[in-house]
Amino acid sequence: MTETLAGADSGAAKRALAPEWPLLRRAALISTLSGLLWLPLAGSAALALAGLLEGRLPALALASFLLFGALRAVLAMLAEAVAQRAALAATSRLRGGVLAQVARRAALPRAGGFASLVGEQAALIRPYAARYVLAQMRVTVLPVAVFLCAFSTSWAAGLILLIAGPAIPVFMALIGHAAGRASREQLQDMGSLSALLADRIGALPDIRLLGASAALGRDFARAAEGLRRASMRVLGIAFLSSTVLEFFAALGIAMMAVFCGFSLLGEIGFGTWGAPLSPAQALFLLLIAPEFFQPLRDLAAAWHDRASADAAALALDQATAPQARMAGQGARAPALPHSVLVLQGVVSRGVSFPDLDLPAGAALAVTGPSGAGKSTLLRLIAGLEQADAGVILLDGMPLGDGNADAWRAALGWMPQGVHFVDDTLEANLRMGRPGDLTPALSGAAAAHLIAALPEGLATRLGERGAGLSGGEGRRLTLARALHAAPRLIVADEPTADLDAATAAEVTRGLLAAHRAGAGLIVATHDPALVATIGREYRLGAG
Amino acid sequence: MRRVWQVMAAGGGMGRAAALAALVLLAGSGLLALSGWFITASAIAGMTAGVMFDVFRPAASVRGLALIRTGARYAERMLGHDATLRAVAGLRGAVLAGLAGLPWDAMQRLRRGPALARVVADTDALDGLPLRIVLPALAALLAFAGAFALIAWLAGWQMAVWICGAHLGPALAAGGWGLRHASGLARQALRAERDFRSHALDLIAARDDLAVHGRLPAQIARAMAAEAEAARLTARLETTERAVALTQELARIIAMAGALGLGATGIRLGMFGPAIAAMCFFAAMALAEATAPLRRAVADWGRIRDAADRVAPMLEQAMPPPVPAVPALPLRVADLLVPAGGVLAISGPSGAGKSTLLSQIAGLIPPAPEQKITLAGRPISDWPEPELRAGLVLVPQRVALIAGSLRENLALARPEASDDDMREILAAMRLDHLRGGLDLRLGDGGLGLSGGEMRRVALARALLRKPRILLLDEPTEGLDEAMACHVMGQITRRSDGAALVFASHRASDLMRAVLHIRLD
Repeated sequence: MTETLAGADSGAAKRALAPEWPLLRRAALISTLSGLLWLPLAGSAALALAGLLEGRLPALALASFLLFGALRAVLAMLAEAVAQRAALAATSRLRGGVLAQVARRAALPRAGGFASLVGEQAALIRPYAARYVLAQMRVTVLPVAVFLCAFSTSWAAGLILLIAGPAIPVFMALIGHAAGRASREQLQDMGSLSALLADRIGALPDIRLLGASAALGRDFARAAEGLRRASMRVLGIAFLSSTVLEFFAALGIAMMAVFCGFSLLGEIGFGTWGAPLSPAQALFLLLIAPEFFQPLRDLAAAWHDRASADAAALALDQATAPQARMAGQGARAPALPHSVLVLQGVVSRGVSFPDLDLPAGAALAVTGPSGAGKSTLLRLIAGLEQADAGVILLDGMPLGDGNADAWRAALGWMPQGVHFVDDTLEANLRMGRPGDLTPALSGAAAAHLIAALPEGLATRLGERGAGLSGGEGRRLTLARALHAAPRLIVADEPTADLDAATAAEVTRGLLAAHRAGAGLIVATHDPALVATIGREYRLGAG
Repeated sequence: MRRVWQVMAAGGGMGRAAALAALVLLAGSGLLALSGWFITASAIAGMTAGVMFDVFRPAASVRGLALIRTGARYAERMLGHDATLRAVAGLRGAVLAGLAGLPWDAMQRLRRGPALARVVADTDALDGLPLRIVLPALAALLAFAGAFALIAWLAGWQMAVWICGAHLGPALAAGGWGLRHASGLARQALRAERDFRSHALDLIAARDDLAVHGRLPAQIARAMAAEAEAARLTARLETTERAVALTQELARIIAMAGALGLGATGIRLGMFGPAIAAMCFFAAMALAEATAPLRRAVADWGRIRDAADRVAPMLEQAMPPPVPAVPALPLRVADLLVPAGGVLAISGPSGAGKSTLLSQIAGLIPPAPEQKITLAGRPISDWPEPELRAGLVLVPQRVALIAGSLRENLALARPEASDDDMREILAAMRLDHLRGGLDLRLGDGGLGLSGGEMRRVALARALLRKPRILLLDEPTEGLDEAMACHVMGQITRRSDGAALVFASHRASDLMRAVLHIRLD
């Protein structure tokens, strides 16, 4: 029944945890066993309390109470330890899988969204594995065991639990739905509040320049207040349904106490199997009654773990769905000796590219309006995506998984916008290649840029090359491409958005490398650059 | 931490929520204790025939406590969450206000990249401060105080000391150890987790570059190494947390066993009867609920402290009050005097310092000592920020709009502007074609508009403010020649009577200026 409650995506988290499932089951078994130990524990306590009635404390009952209590606590922690380890292992495995899969795709997801998928979202599987799975098994065993114990002691006590009990599946369904919805909406609200904050912080400089800081504060307070009200409305419903469960639990205990008391007084003469209820039996019933409800409360508390884990598992599943891949592994390989580049009947994303035959060391300007497929062509040539039809030949060999890594090792790559990875400038320029950086830096007219940085090559660059202007970033990208000692340089709009002087420097660097023997494929709008290169490859001319 | 809490508690409602939480705990413990007393007392009455025993009052009290507990629980949850949401919203508002007072370059750095995500995540983490630390701690203290008084009254102070001590002593000791131990671990684990996230982000954002350079497997390995480190630290953190939980559970068992032993002694000494002894036993069992949240507090404390340490400094700056004074002209930059209606162009290669000079004129960064920038003869750095902002507007090279309608974006510049004013200025910037007009909804940062459109909205916003001094950094970047011509024409016409200063590469823009500064 619980399977159907979480909605259409139920089971996604369980499927994702398949390799760890046996371990989790074992943890759940230990946890259930620890829960069952409450029964002998309660029995010992009841005997000890009954002893007090006669003015003595039975040593055996006290000793077994301590023993069962300690054993129960240790087993509970053991179960959690096993489950938590399995949960951590599962997250690591899932993250590794997604990274390896998605990194080799032709079309990439948005980086920020992907980072939050493998970061925060993948972590949501953990509480499901570590808490929910255990709570679920306990809930199928413990209430039944407690009921059987109560029923065999007194049928009326069993009846009390049964009266409070049947309502429970119904309320669990209610709680499941309401809590699921509440947690979704609350997450959404908290999320939109966060998004609102992020958005306003992003606009702070502009806001300040407009002298509107105070207006911004008022606007934010109003939006936050609206979110709070909406959030509380939904939470009210969710709390109400769990309150009903609490109510039945508290009422069940109260009814049990009243029944036992009246039986002992002799006011109630029914409800037992023949002999009247003894004080020890009555105390036992009172002690085990809360444990009838506790597993249900635990499950209710863990309920939203499952919903969010299912959502996360589903998102991870979708992220790893098979899609077009790049050629090769993107790994280091010895550079391919170059190579005549030939395009034959290449079609990609609905653009059919003119055939091309480019000898080694030749230069080519790729031109055409925005959206004509210039960047796509460069990615196709680098094997970062694969053509829907046609073939790219390197010295007559088709470009594919077998030779893509070696081919790319021969390329100098100069993208239009650069994303420097979270590392030093030096590591970003070297990209794992040893050797002297000086020639590449001077070739790209970037040596003085490095000298101007307070920490030089050791400067750490964050996202988008913190603190570098567009022209500086472009020159560093050129230096990186030159340091790769390429046989063919592939550059995407190397002079776009640069002032004339910087554009000229970048062009000079490219041409110098070309004169030194490297081939050159440049996608550009710049008529001066096209004229310098001489050979033009037009796209989207109709 | 204290400063953060002051801001969060300002929303109110925390005291009531904590009192209700204590009531929940006391009613729960009372329910079990009274039930235990009732059963035991009934057993005694049943055994000794002829004793009159009032059954109805205790029975009614048991049911009453069950109802009180349920009701208080609901109220406590509602109030607690409401107070937390107020606190979280208040904190975010205070953070925003604090950040608005940051120095200019710090503000610029903040808007991009991981720092922004960090601020947002930190404020998110701090909702745990009331919900998982302060409220449960206050509630537990109140509940134990209440339980102590009741038990001492009914069974003597020895029993009260034992039951409260056996719970609180180990809880405080384990909690103290756990909080100290876990907070360091949590910080390290968080750092490793953040490293993993940032490497994963790099992996996708720089995938093509990494693949061409054969660095894809290396980057994946780098990310997964950070992940393994995070998992290792998290495992240690969880072990700490379990140790605390185990201590608490063992403490409960010992508290219950001790209550039995003290009960037997008390009965023998005639201090109380078996019914009171049973009541104490059940109270010892139920009071564990009060210390139970400690475990979660240990797990979250590191994260919360980490976040609080970073958020606290942001709360110190205050939002500048709006001042409707207007700085006077002329503007003087070096030897050039820009009067009302004057136009000054700044040109030079990229990196020559055009944006820096504009920021200096705007009073955002201090000018170099030898540089002379004055407004009405007074050095720019002597002008107070609010007065400067009231009459001087700079449209930077990278503009950001806010999520919301186009109207909201424009209203930031002049809240009292009418829709007609706004439409007129949008038409002047050739933005009247936008579907939805002023009601057009923009996503975060102005998502949904092209770069050129965003730039023109920012220019429209600046013009709407009718500043005395209008500074524009590359106003026509990303616009085609015809549009650039139109836009600059509109700007020069509409800023008549103001001093206009702009930096540009475009020859046709530069020709509009009478005065020039060329930087090399």
